Amino acid sequence: MHMATTLTINGEKKTFDAPPEMPLLWVLRDILGMTGTKFGCGIAQCGACTVHVDGKAVRSCVLPVSAVENRTVTTVEAVGSTPAGAKVQKAWLDLEVIQCGYCQSGQIMSAAALLTATPNPDDSDIDAAMAGNICRCGTYVRIREAIKQAASGRQS
Amino acid sequence: MRIFASLVVIAVVAMAVGVWYIRGPHPLDFAGGAKVALADYRAGKPTGVPASLEKASLIERGEYLAKAADCMVCHTKPGEKEYSGGLGFKLPFGTLYSTNITPDKETGIGNYSDQDFLNAVQRGTRHDGAQLYPAMPYTSYTYMTDDDVLAVKAYLFSLPPVRAKAPDNTLSFPFNQRWAMMFWSVVFNPDTRFTPDTSKSPEWNRGAYLAEALAHCGECHTPRNLGFALDNRKKFAGAVTAGWRAFNISSDKATGLGNWRDEDLIAYLSVGHAPGHGSASGPMGEAVDRSFSQFAPEDIRAIVAYLRSVPPQPSPDLPAGTAPVAPASHRDGVTADARGKKVFASACVSCHGWSGESPVSPMATLTGTWAVNDPAAINVAQIVLSGTKRHTPDGALSMPAFGNAYTDDEIAAVANYVTARFGTKGSTLTARDVAELREQTAE
Repeated sequence: MHMATTLTINGEKKTFDAPPEMPLLWVLRDILGMTGTKFGCGIAQCGACTVHVDGKAVRSCVLPVSAVENRTVTTVEAVGSTPAGAKVQKAWLDLEVIQCGYCQSGQIMSAAALLTATPNPDDSDIDAAMAGNICRCGTYVRIREAIKQAASGRQS
Repeated sequence: MRIFASLVVIAVVAMAVGVWYIRGPHPLDFAGGAKVALADYRAGKPTGVPASLEKASLIERGEYLAKAADCMVCHTKPGEKEYSGGLGFKLPFGTLYSTNITPDKETGIGNYSDQDFLNAVQRGTRHDGAQLYPAMPYTSYTYMTDDDVLAVKAYLFSLPPVRAKAPDNTLSFPFNQRWAMMFWSVVFNPDTRFTPDTSKSPEWNRGAYLAEALAHCGECHTPRNLGFALDNRKKFAGAVTAGWRAFNISSDKATGLGNWRDEDLIAYLSVGHAPGHGSASGPMGEAVDRSFSQFAPEDIRAIVAYLRSVPPQPSPDLPAGTAPVAPASHRDGVTADARGKKVFASACVSCHGWSGESPVSPMATLTGTWAVNDPAAINVAQIVLSGTKRHTPDGALSMPAFGNAYTDDEIAAVANYVTARFGTKGSTLTARDVAELREQTAE
């Protein structure tokens, strides 16, 4: 059953036809063509599909689109226009965090949500917030450093 | 000789008293009002289908009643044809398999006469005269009217026959001696039809019929006695069945439904979720999906009216009351299990949140649920092992199964962390407990 759904994504209203149980990730990538958010495992275990719903990091691959109606969705395409997102992206570039890059949209979304909630995270805060984002290349050390740099505002 | 005769008399009397004591009250004895034969009850119509289906065909009425009796869940193996049987029930003494109840003449019930079907459903006696094991809840279905049982038969006989022979049971001695079930049935099957209680409302009587004869709530929610039959002295006090905890659904305020609002119960039964009370999973999730969600609204309300009247039974093994929302930061609150916290941070927090209030959906909120408040963490561990899926009018929401991704040690650790953080009393599960829970679930 398809029905017209309207979501607010990155500040814009988008209307599309999708079954209510379709994961938000499929809507983003396949219907709206917003491919910055990645498909990794499909069972909320790798973090590649992380987006913000009402400012919190959630996994869009298991989130039915019906669950986010009337809520604010932010994706990696627009996170740079939030204060925390801008700092995170700058630190990511400064420290050359990315290797292959596949998981990094999700890493950046989780890091930005962390800094919004906890402006000065310590290692345990970073562990608690980032444990669900897996990086096959092993960029974890640089991710940690970049989060700390983004938080402190210092330049590399 | 006289001494011998006296001894025999004493033995017979002792046995009769023992049987009478073990058997205990019938499921509706608590109501206490005057009973009348169904035919003499004029205040309402407790049996059959709801008014909207009164004019429907026999097959349609049978379909409603078959769903209300939830035949399909047990008589269907996942992935196989509906009602074709073969689902395994793992018991401590072996595995029992459900039978094919499609109208296939060789492997199903295609040769059953009306009387054969009545005998099976109301008396647990098979076509060939053998006695069924009480995994088939015929001691509940015995309260169904003949008309309703035969409507179910008409529905089943309208389905395409499926050729499927269930595997042989693997019960050990003495449980493989099927003939012995005859004695069990004599003691524990009242073999009587539903009789309305004139001291109660028509709605209550409808609810009693639905809950006892059809939905067979007590089969999971009432503890069992020495003879593995329902102990109605502790009616609806909760029990562990097939590796899941069926919680206390008596009107007890601390551990039962006493503090649930009517609208919570209605929502829980009709969509499998009530705000602040969590979502139905495991066997109750199946009961909602296949049975309660298909009930007419007035039938759900009747069940709620009936549940309200069941006397409070405390569950001493469960804490009274649930825990408030946990702190928003991972730093605050209990940090009982460091390993459990690691697993929670990697696998759980993105949907359930550190506070227990889900950022994703109220259906995934842990705060206030009975599962996280269970110091045995049975359902928490089961849901982690096998995942869960809730169907709602707005689509489905699911949690993946972690049984193959995490070891028993890790699952025990995360269950202990979750119950400590979000419940009132943390659990102390071990890897061994988790391994046992894996063993107990139906195949």
